Amino acid sequence: MKIDMSVDLGKFKLKNPVMTASGTFGYGYEYNQLYDISRLGAVVVKGIAPFVSNGNPTPRVAETASGMLNAIGLQGPGVDKFLHGDHYMPFLRTTGATVIVNIWGKSIADYCEVARRMDEEPEGITALEVNISCPNVKAGGVAFGTDTKLLNEVISAVRKSTTLPLIVKLSPNVTKIGDFAKAAEDAGADAVYLINTLTGMAINAETRKPKIANLTGGLSGPAVKPVALRMVYEASKAVTIPVIGMGGICNGIDAVEFMLAGAKAVAVGTATFADPYAPLKVIDGIEDYLKRHNFKSVSEIVGALEI
Amino acid sequence: MYKIGEIVSNRCLKGDYFQAVFYHPEIAVKAIAGQFVHVQITQMSANILRRPFSINNTDPEAGTVQITYKVVGSGTEVLSKLAPGAVCDLLGPLGNGYKMPADDEIPVMIAGGYGTAAMFMISKLAKNKGMLLVGARGDADLILLEDYQAQGTEVKVATNDGSVGTQGFVTVLLEDLLKNPEPGKKYRFYACGPTPMLMAAGKMLCAAGRADGELSLDHVMCCGVGACFACVVKVKDGDTFRYARSCSEGPVFTAGEVYYEN
Repeated sequence: MKIDMSVDLGKFKLKNPVMTASGTFGYGYEYNQLYDISRLGAVVVKGIAPFVSNGNPTPRVAETASGMLNAIGLQGPGVDKFLHGDHYMPFLRTTGATVIVNIWGKSIADYCEVARRMDEEPEGITALEVNISCPNVKAGGVAFGTDTKLLNEVISAVRKSTTLPLIVKLSPNVTKIGDFAKAAEDAGADAVYLINTLTGMAINAETRKPKIANLTGGLSGPAVKPVALRMVYEASKAVTIPVIGMGGICNGIDAVEFMLAGAKAVAVGTATFADPYAPLKVIDGIEDYLKRHNFKSVSEIVGALEI
Repeated sequence: MYKIGEIVSNRCLKGDYFQAVFYHPEIAVKAIAGQFVHVQITQMSANILRRPFSINNTDPEAGTVQITYKVVGSGTEVLSKLAPGAVCDLLGPLGNGYKMPADDEIPVMIAGGYGTAAMFMISKLAKNKGMLLVGARGDADLILLEDYQAQGTEVKVATNDGSVGTQGFVTVLLEDLLKNPEPGKKYRFYACGPTPMLMAAGKMLCAAGRADGELSLDHVMCCGVGACFACVVKVKDGDTFRYARSCSEGPVFTAGEVYYEN
């Protein structure tokens, strides 16, 4: 009996619930050298701004216990190169992959401009993911994600700039995540996606210097999973739009836990660094779980946590 | 029969320096000088990142890949204790690698410390065996010199403490060669070592009109395939710089491409 792995996220559908986390999967091109990326539920590309972005000084990453800190700083090619450059959108269109474009800016006008540019050339783009939660850029990013009023302003403005489905990527660096999920829904988001990384630090005691040049970075990996699960659970209680869950997912069982907590889809991020094939293994792992428990479709486990 | 990624041997060369041989026929056949393998030491449950190692040597017939490494942190510490039979997950060969010298060119390999590991396959595969200029703090950090000599490569040493060879940095040896080349010889330059040494050597090569010299640069690495932009290094971009991924756009950059701070 074939299990139905497809998920319905309202404005769009995915062939399976497993996406890649923005910033961990390049622009799809890099991992397509290893396997066919169209097998994934969706490929979420690294953040695109209206401008070319150099990113932060190095070192940009540090390994921590069961996780890592990063402060890449949203290095990126800018919207023009993304839409027309060889290894970007023109390449992605040839793969047949479901593509979600992560967008960001330093101002509301920036967010609107990049959304409008995607709207003008939407071929091959399934949805936009609005990044209001990067902890590593000084202007924009997380400033919009930690204030419900600013969140409402930016998402409402982006909503008017595109007809593409909008996913809002939420910051975990807030006290009540449910309020932010609700603010995104009220502003016109079609889904919320969480968690982005948790702000942290790592210090080298021998040299008395921070381990990453930006001083602070975003914590990800298995270390954050319990926090992420709690936040996905809370967000799913606060909104009626779909919730996409992520944070430390390494295998199919991790993904199932997020779905039981209320996520309709999941994303694999840091685990891809340990194992480039991790997103594919998560798909297989979910399917194995569903078979073992006699489920006919993956959507049956969404929010099925028994309390 | 070995498993893919199985450790065939893992031994101490001297002090903190170790050499491991993995069974991995695909990498053994494909790898060229200057490329690297990205190793997941699966025996470490709380460490999630892979560790990149220059490919020191390959044996395509035996299907083995050799790395030579220094114990510098938690990953190399665990790796150094793995016995033959342990299996690691190897991704590779990754990176662009060095361009081999033409048959009429003489390779000059400039190494700092265990930078000797990354250039050995040039010595092994080049028609002319050329010379290795190697700098280290002292005798304890000089490794693999016999391997180069066994290929017929001339080895010149500089040490900070003067315990072996010339006293000073390896750039003293390079400067001497650039000022007093043997007439009629066509040299081709390669370098691998700590970043300050590479910057000094790169500037020296550019000043001598040898911006085509190849430097192997890297930085703290994460994905290894160009996706995450962690391991970036500065390369020239007009009057300023841009960050290039050392894993996928490098690790080998020409001295002319590299952006120098001063």
